[in-house]
Amino acid sequence: MRLDDTIASAARTLTTHVTRSALTLLAVALGSAAVVLLSSLGEGARQTVLDELTALGTHLLIVLPGRNETAGGAPPLLGETPRDLTLEDALALLRSARVERVAPVSIGEAPVSAGSLEREVTILGTTADFLTVRQLKMAAGRFLPPGDPERPAPFAVIGQTLAKELFGTANPVGQRVRIGDRRFRVIGLLEAAGVSLGSNLADLAVIPVASAQALFDNPALFRILVQARGRAALEAAADDIRAIIRERHEGEDDVTVITQDALLGTFDRILGALTLAVAGIAAISLAVAGVLIMNVMLVSVSQRTAEVGLLKALGARQRDIMGLFLTEALLLAGVGTLAGIALAYLTVALFNANVAAFQLSVPDWAPLAAAAVSVGAGLVFGLLPALRAARLDPVVALSGRR
Amino acid sequence: MRPGDFASYTLTAVRAQRGRSLLTVTGIAIGVAAVVLLTAIGEGIHRFVLAEFTQFGTNLIAVAPGKTSTMGLSGAMIANVRPLSVADARALERVPDVQGVVAVVQGNAAVEAGGSSRRTMVFGAGPGVPEIWSMRPAIGRFLPADTGGARPFAVLGAKLRDELFGAASPLGQRVRIGGEAFRVIGVMEHKGQMLGFDLDDTVFIPVQRALAMFDRDSLMEIDILYDRAADSSAVAERVRELLVRRHGSEDFTITTQDQMLEVMGSVLDVLTAVVAALGGISLLVGGIGILTIMTIAVAERRAEIGLLRALGAGRDQVLILFLLEAVLLALLGGAAGLGIGAGGAWLIGTLVPALPTRMAWDFVLIAEVTAALIGLAAGVLPALRAAALDPVAALHDE
Repeated sequence: MRLDDTIASAARTLTTHVTRSALTLLAVALGSAAVVLLSSLGEGARQTVLDELTALGTHLLIVLPGRNETAGGAPPLLGETPRDLTLEDALALLRSARVERVAPVSIGEAPVSAGSLEREVTILGTTADFLTVRQLKMAAGRFLPPGDPERPAPFAVIGQTLAKELFGTANPVGQRVRIGDRRFRVIGLLEAAGVSLGSNLADLAVIPVASAQALFDNPALFRILVQARGRAALEAAADDIRAIIRERHEGEDDVTVITQDALLGTFDRILGALTLAVAGIAAISLAVAGVLIMNVMLVSVSQRTAEVGLLKALGARQRDIMGLFLTEALLLAGVGTLAGIALAYLTVALFNANVAAFQLSVPDWAPLAAAAVSVGAGLVFGLLPALRAARLDPVVALSGRR
Repeated sequence: MRPGDFASYTLTAVRAQRGRSLLTVTGIAIGVAAVVLLTAIGEGIHRFVLAEFTQFGTNLIAVAPGKTSTMGLSGAMIANVRPLSVADARALERVPDVQGVVAVVQGNAAVEAGGSSRRTMVFGAGPGVPEIWSMRPAIGRFLPADTGGARPFAVLGAKLRDELFGAASPLGQRVRIGGEAFRVIGVMEHKGQMLGFDLDDTVFIPVQRALAMFDRDSLMEIDILYDRAADSSAVAERVRELLVRRHGSEDFTITTQDQMLEVMGSVLDVLTAVVAALGGISLLVGGIGILTIMTIAVAERRAEIGLLRALGAGRDQVLILFLLEAVLLALLGGAAGLGIGAGGAWLIGTLVPALPTRMAWDFVLIAEVTAALIGLAAGVLPALRAAALDPVAALHDE
């Protein structure tokens, strides 16, 4: 038998039993669509988180006070240490040739009031470079002016939520506010950046780091954000930072340096594994579809016993018969998968067109994996029925008895 | 036809096509097993996480400085203009139904003993820790309650003790923490990890000492243990009133363990439900399997249906026969799936102790009912087709 004969014969069988074939196709299509859709959900989540992490800044390093020696443990997030990480430490980091910018961050909470309105928000003390390092944009006014970081200045930059709570629709730039027991003038409004990894950049006030240290009577920095000169310099910059701090802290290695790449890598691995797990769960349904293919094929073999007998009497070899039935199984699996993948892509396109907040993204491997699994299932589950057909005794088969 | 006849006819029909029925049942069984197994894992993780959080007790209330309550880091924990003080913690001890109060500051410092040194987590806490966090010293004693608790005593975590002293007894030894001298008076029992924090790689010192060491005024948290019989929201309200009176305004956040567990529980419930739904896709595909096989069965058994009708069976009786057959297939699949799923869950629980499993019986029930409903739904179309057959035409096919 020639290949096109085989295919034509298998296709004819499928079109003769329309309902049966359509239902089997539906089962396979559902399974493969589920695999592609769920993996695109996972991939979408991965992209979103990675984008958010990337938006934190480019070539970013984060310096935390304190260091835990627990292998694989969490870094010391709250950062209280006997020896403070100071503004001088931060400025000293600029001595490294691999460090481009440094933004010291001191943080606390204090009431901010304007007129009779008051709101308790996060107060972030930093320098002019923070805007560039964190890649933030101004909605109005300007950011903290460059100048001597060690000198307090009564300037504040506020986030969108705080501006709305204190000033309503009025322009906050130029207004006076009271933060704790000190007076500041609002010189800028941050552009809405939403919630990024736990720090709400809309509900805060940014003031010069020296002012924050005075306000909270606390010379300790919470973090130092460092921008390295280029991606290749990240690791070397981290080494430089540790060396400079060690020198300044009398030989003590008491800071943790986190590179953005390490952070990205961790999230990438976690979310990648999650996507695979979800796709794997969906792939179980493809196994169920495979069982259905086997069932339908067995029915097909038993109904076509006489036909197989005739083919064999006419000289068809076992190989030909096997090929005939395997082709039928593969057609079911293949066409079903194509339909399922098409359905998934259509759903993804529809979803993305209508939902702006979250974008689905089909990973390259998903359609391939869905196709491989379902065609593999078609092959495996088609094998037994095809073997049964191929081993039929022509005489018995022709006589119509089973 | 009597009910018994319905049953025996259906059983015969299922048995007659043994291979085919077996495969159909397998399809449903895989779906049910997936749901049972996945929800068992989900439920196991649920219990595991809740156990992690209740290891410190359930009748707890936490007070943190600052009014904004986000799940992440609150700026007020680091610095604030209106501190939560040790005196506040003392005052809270007098609130009715409060059984214990522990003031907490957490930081990071080098702990040195003899020639070795290790950077680790430092907890500034009070004598109430063993009672309130259910963490007991394995040897020696915890920080004493006398003399304001400010004497330079330290209690080591199990791992820190191993790292610094090895097998030797650390009791009575001197250690330097952040450059200051302390005397070891106890070692905590092994506690393990929680959310990435190794609770054994830690040292406890009096909270006043910690505040001085880290040069700060404000506590990071006050944990309150209340009478198990008391109502958590009533106690929380009394705590709120007292602190508002002391501070002049509500510049702190109160979280009861009840609330936290509730929030966490509902998040984990949603997670389990999502996983169950994912497994349910397989169940749906299995349902299509029943539909396909029943359609084939009706087509093959036209003559038999014609005969039944000729012998006086009504349309509704034929309908019921085929519906019963579909539901029977689904139920057999459901039973087999339950067996496979439960076995798999037990196997995972035994082989991988790190991944606890526990049967989520509510989801098992949902899966079984869904399987039966899917069988019923899948049977409707073929059964209707069978019932609609014209007896004369059907008999003629033979």
